Amino acid sequence: MTIRIGLPRGLLYYQYGSIWEKFLQELGAEVVVTGDTSKATLNCGSGLDEVCLPAKVYFGHINDLYKQVDYLFTPRVISVAAGQYTCPKIIGMPDMLRSNIDNLPPLIDVNLNLRQNSRSLYQAIITVGHMLGKNAISSLYAWYHAWQYRRMDQAIRYSKPNGQRIGLIGHPYIIYDRQISMNIIDKLNHFGIDVITPEMISNRQAAIAAKTLGKKIFWSNGDHMAGAALALIQSEQPVDGLIFITSFTCGPDALIGELVSQRAQALNIPCMLLTVDEHTAEAGFVTRLEAFTDMLIRRKQS
Amino acid sequence: MIVTFPHMGDMSIALKELFTGLGRQVVLPPPISKRTLELGIKYSPETACLPFKINLGNFIEALEQGANTIITCGGVGPCRLGYYAEIQQGILKNLGFNFDMIVVEPDIVDIIKQLHRVAFKRNFWEVYLAFRLALAKIYAMDSIQRKVNMIRPREVSVGKSDFIWRQTVDVIDAAENLSTLRAAWHKGESELDEVKLKSGTRLLRIGVVGEIYVMLESSINQNLDWRLGNMGVEVYKTMYLSDYINGHLFRKREYLKKFKYLADLAQPYLGHYVGGHGIKSIAHAVNMGQEKYDGIIHVFPFTCMPEIVAKNILPKVSNDVDIPVLSLAFDEQSGEAGIVTRLEAFIDLLRYRRVKHHLA
Repeated sequence: MTIRIGLPRGLLYYQYGSIWEKFLQELGAEVVVTGDTSKATLNCGSGLDEVCLPAKVYFGHINDLYKQVDYLFTPRVISVAAGQYTCPKIIGMPDMLRSNIDNLPPLIDVNLNLRQNSRSLYQAIITVGHMLGKNAISSLYAWYHAWQYRRMDQAIRYSKPNGQRIGLIGHPYIIYDRQISMNIIDKLNHFGIDVITPEMISNRQAAIAAKTLGKKIFWSNGDHMAGAALALIQSEQPVDGLIFITSFTCGPDALIGELVSQRAQALNIPCMLLTVDEHTAEAGFVTRLEAFTDMLIRRKQS
Repeated sequence: MIVTFPHMGDMSIALKELFTGLGRQVVLPPPISKRTLELGIKYSPETACLPFKINLGNFIEALEQGANTIITCGGVGPCRLGYYAEIQQGILKNLGFNFDMIVVEPDIVDIIKQLHRVAFKRNFWEVYLAFRLALAKIYAMDSIQRKVNMIRPREVSVGKSDFIWRQTVDVIDAAENLSTLRAAWHKGESELDEVKLKSGTRLLRIGVVGEIYVMLESSINQNLDWRLGNMGVEVYKTMYLSDYINGHLFRKREYLKKFKYLADLAQPYLGHYVGGHGIKSIAHAVNMGQEKYDGIIHVFPFTCMPEIVAKNILPKVSNDVDIPVLSLAFDEQSGEAGIVTRLEAFIDLLRYRRVKHHLA
C-alpha cells in the first residue's frame, strides 16, 4: 500500500510546492494536495490566534487534510539563503500545528536551514527519504528529478506599449492565493493594466537593486520583494505605480512596506498599501483599486 | 557629537554613564510620555511593533532637544528589531532632521569599530573603566529591583520599598565611581532589609515571561510588577537587563548552560529558535510549572512575531504542566482599566485554585 502524504496549499507551497510534490511522488508516495482556499478554510484557520492571514489559511488547509492522510509534509523551513531567515511564524508552524490540533498524523517536519551552509538541504532530503523507507542515493536522485520541475523565471510581457504598468509587490502566498488576494491580478488586468509581480523579476535583478539599501534585509521573501520593487521603480522605464499588498500583522511587511513606500515617494511614483485580513470586504477592496488606477490614468494624461 | 539612545526601563542610567565616560555629551530622551507615544504612532508604519514606535518617539524628542547622534542596536533577525534602525533613519530623514545614526551590530569587529567612532580621545583603560561603571550600575539596580519585588507584597506600610527604590536609583544615577556606587547599593539593600514585613500566609507566586522591552518598560506594561505586588502577589520577572547582557553579550558559561537547559525544556513544544524570546517564554513556562508557581503572565507587544508563535503554543504547555497562563498583548491602546480587570480576574482564579487544591 502506498503512503498518503498531505501537502497543504499554503505559505511556501506557492514557491516550492511543485518541487515538493514531485519529490514525494518520486519517493513513491501518493501526494494529496488541498484545493484552493475557500471561505471554509478561513473559518477553520481562525484556530490560530493573532497570526497573519496566510498562516491561518495554512492552518485551515491542515484542518481539511489531516484526517485523510498518513503523514503531513510540513517541513520547518528556517532559511533558504545564506544569512537570511524565512519568518518566525513559518519556523514555528509545525509546533503551532502540534499544539493546536489533537490526533495529528506524524508530521514530516525536517529542519531546512541554509543560513550557514547548504549541507542542511541534503540532510533534509535524506531524512525524508528515510522516513519513507528509501536510501540516501535514491532520495537524492528523486530530488534531482524533482528539481527539474521548479518554476523558471518568467519574462516580463508588455502587451500594450502605452498601457499602464503596475508593480504588485507581496508574498507569493498572498498574491497567488485567489481567496486572500481577492483575485487582484485578474481585477487589475480587467481594468486594462499590466501587472508585474516580484516573481517576474529575476533573483539577480532584485539582488542588484537591493544593494542600494543601507542594510541587507534578513527575511528572504522580504529581501526579494524589496529588491523587485526597487528594480521596478529605479529602471529606465519605471512602472506607473506600485501596489504593496500585505496581510494584517505580517511582521516583516510592516517594515518592508514602509521602506518601499519611502523609496517610491522619493522617486515620485505612487504607491498604495493594501492590507488584507479575513474581514476584508470585496467592495471596499475594489473601490480602492479603482480609485488608484483612475488616479494613475489621470496622472499619465496630464 | 551629542549622543542620544532609546529608553528601555532604567537602561538610560547605565548608557548615560557609559557615553559620558567615553567623553561624549549626552542628551537623554525625555521620559516616555503620551507625547512620545503620539509622535511615534504618527510617523511609524501602522502595524510595526510597539518598541519601534516608542523608540521613534524617543528619537524625535531627543533630536528636538539638540541631540545629533543616535546610537541604537542592530540584529540578524528574524525578529524585526534588527531592521528598526534602517527604517527609522528613513522616517527621521523625511521629517527633516539632521543627524548621524550609529547602529551597533552584534559582531565584535563592528562593536570595536563603532566604539572607535564614539570614544573621544580615550585610551583603552578609560574605555574599560567607563564600561565597568556602567555595568556595575545595571547589576546594582537589578539586584535591588529583585529585592523590591519580593518585599512589596509583604510590607506593612505600603509604598515603603518603592520609596527606597526610587531614592536608591537617584543615588546610583549620580554615583561617579565604583566606591560611591557600592556604598549606595549596600545602603539601599540594608534599608530594604529593615522594612517591616507582614508575617504568615504563603503568597501567590506569579512568573512573568515574554518580550524584554514590555517586561522592563513600566510605562508600557502599566506598572505590571508594582500592580501585582500591591495585589499581594510575589512577582518573578524572567528577564532583567543584566541577564540579557550576561547571556547575549558576554555569553557567560553559567548563562549558556542555563539557555541549553531551557532549550531542552522547550524542545517538545517548540523545536527551533524563532527569534526574540519566543523559545524562552515556552521554556520558562514549563520550568515554572514544574516548580509549582501559581500562574504565569505572558507579556508582549501586539504583532510581535516570536511571541505570537509562543502564545499559540502556551495553551498546550499550560495544559500539560497544569499552570494557568494569561497572555497580555500591549499596544498604544492598552488602557489601565482593562489591564487591571484582567489581572484581578486572573488572581481571583489563582486564589480559587489554591483553595481547591488545599481542600482536595
